[in-house]
Amino acid sequence: MIETRSLVKVFRGRRWTVEALRGVDFTAPRGSITALVGPNGAGKTTLLKVISTLILPTSGEAYVDGMDVVSRAKDVRRVIGLVTVSDRLLYYRLSGVDNLTFYGILYGMPTSYARARARDLLELVGLGEWGEEPVMHYSTGMMRRLAIARALMHDPDVILLDEPTLGIDAASSRRVHRLLGELSSGRTIVLTSHLMKEVEELAGSIYVMRAGRIVARGTAEEIKAMAGRIVEAGLKPEAVDEGLSKFVVRSEPGLVIVRAPEDIIPESAVYVRDVEPTLEDAYVILAGEGGADLRPYQFRRGGAHAHGGHV
Amino acid sequence: MGVMSKLYAYLYLRGFKVWISYRTQAALTMLSWVLPVFTYYFTGTALGNKLVSGLGTGNYTSFMVIGLAFQGYVSSTIATVSQRLRNEQLYGTLEYYVLSPSGILGFLVYSSIWGFALNSINAAVILAVGAALGVRLSPSGVLVSSVILALLLLSTFGIAAMSGAVVMVTKQGNPISFFFSTFTTLMGGVVFPVTILPPYLRYVSYAIPLTWALEGLRGALLYGEGIAQLLPVVAVLAAFAGVTVPLGLFSYRAAFDRARRDGTLSQY
Repeated sequence: MIETRSLVKVFRGRRWTVEALRGVDFTAPRGSITALVGPNGAGKTTLLKVISTLILPTSGEAYVDGMDVVSRAKDVRRVIGLVTVSDRLLYYRLSGVDNLTFYGILYGMPTSYARARARDLLELVGLGEWGEEPVMHYSTGMMRRLAIARALMHDPDVILLDEPTLGIDAASSRRVHRLLGELSSGRTIVLTSHLMKEVEELAGSIYVMRAGRIVARGTAEEIKAMAGRIVEAGLKPEAVDEGLSKFVVRSEPGLVIVRAPEDIIPESAVYVRDVEPTLEDAYVILAGEGGADLRPYQFRRGGAHAHGGHV
Repeated sequence: MGVMSKLYAYLYLRGFKVWISYRTQAALTMLSWVLPVFTYYFTGTALGNKLVSGLGTGNYTSFMVIGLAFQGYVSSTIATVSQRLRNEQLYGTLEYYVLSPSGILGFLVYSSIWGFALNSINAAVILAVGAALGVRLSPSGVLVSSVILALLLLSTFGIAAMSGAVVMVTKQGNPISFFFSTFTTLMGGVVFPVTILPPYLRYVSYAIPLTWALEGLRGALLYGEGIAQLLPVVAVLAAFAGVTVPLGLFSYRAAFDRARRDGTLSQY
C-alpha cells in the first residue's frame, strides 16, 4: 500500500522555483491498480519518483507498505519495482536474458538463479523466444515489456509504471494490460497514463492531477459523474474560442464538433445533443488539456516562490 | 558468492560484453595501449642513450615502459568511472542502480574494478612489449610493487569517486577527469623524470599519487629495491589514499543526495 500526506516538492533553481507537488494526499491500496492522470507537468512523474525514493520530498509524508520513503529509503527500494518513461533504460548491446540477469544480481541474486528467473519473466512478458537476442533488435513494445520484466526481477510488492504503453502498438498494449491485470493480484500497482481508455480498463481508482495537486479522485464512474451534464455540439469554426478549443473532438466541413459542459456551449451552436460523458470528457474538464492557461506551473524569475497554476 | 556474482555482472556482462560488442573501438583501444611504447622507444633511441641517461633515468626504455604500463591505472580508471556514470545517465539506467540494494557505492566500486581490470590487461600488454624490447624486471620487486600498486589503486578509487561526483553535478565537463587524464602523463613522471620540470611544476607533480607510485614501482621492478628503501613512497601513497578515499566517498554521496533533492538523477 502507498500513502502520501500533504506531500510537497519544490524544485529550486538559481532563478526559478517550481512547485511540482503541492500538498498531495494519495492512497494506492494493495490488490488493485491505481492510475494517475493529468497533463504533462502535472506532477505525476515527480510523485512516482518521490514514492520510489529517487526524489526527496520538500515536506509532507510518503509511506510504502508503512515505511517512510525518506528515513527507510533502502527498505522501500527492496519492495518496489519501477518502470520509468524513457526511450532507453536497457543495455541495447546485451540480450534480454543478460539485461535481466544483470539487474537480478544487483538485487543480490546468485547468477544461476538470476538467469533462471530472467528466462521465466521473459516467458511471462511474451519474450521467451527473444531472450538471447540483443535488445537493440527489439521493437519499442518489446523493450517496454522487457522493462516491466526488469521491474519484476526481485518480485516487488509495489510496482510503479510511468506511461507503460507509451509509443507502442495496440497489440503490445493489450499484452501489457493483460500482464498488469495478472500482476495486480496481491500487489500495489500505480501507473500514469494519458490514455483514458487504458486507465478505465485497468484502474480500480483514478487520481486526476493538475498543477501539482490532486483535483479529483474516484473510480472511473465517479470521475465521469464529476463531469456533470455533457453535450455534443456542432459549432461554426468562428464560434470556437480559446475556452472551447480544448473540448474539440473533431472537425467536419464547415463545422467543429465539441463535447463540453452544456453551460459553455454558445447559443449559435448548429446542433446540441446529450451524450454520456466518457472518462476523457471528465478528464478534459477536470485536468484541462493543451491550453496555455493550463500550464501546471509558472516560472517567476528572481523569486523564492512560484505562482500557482490553475486549480 | 555475492561478490563473484557481482564481478560477473559488472566485469563480464556490463563490462566486457558491452565493450567487446563495439569491435572497432575495442581494437583501437588495444592499439592505443601498444603504440605509445614504440613511439617512446624510438624517441629514446633517436635522442641517444647519452642524453637519456643524462636525465638520470638509467635505461630509458625500461623507464618509459614502467611509466606507460602503470599510468593507465590512474587516467583510464578515472575516465572509465566518470564515463560510465555519464553513460548510465544517457541510457536512463542510473536510477535503477540507485534503487538496487547494490546501490551507487556498488556501482562505483565495481566500475572502478572494471577500470582496474582493463588496465591490468593494458599493463600486461605493455610489459610484454617491453620485455620484447629488452626490459628486464626484478622478480624480487613483485611483492613491494604489489603494495605500491594497491595503494595507487586506492588513491585512484578516491579520485574516481570525486570525478563521479563532478559528473553528477556538471553532467558534461569534468575538470578532475580532464586533469588526471591529461596532466598525469605530462607531470606524473611517465615518460620523463619530473626532475627536468621547472621547480613550480615539480611541486605540482608531487601532488599526484602516480609520481610517487612510479618512483616506487621503478625502484622495485627495475632495481629490486625492498620495502625498507621504498618506505617513504609507501607512506606518501598511504597518506594520499587516506585523504582521497574519504573525500571521494563523501563528495560522491553528497552529489547523489543533491541529485535526489534537485530531481536531477535522470537528467543528462
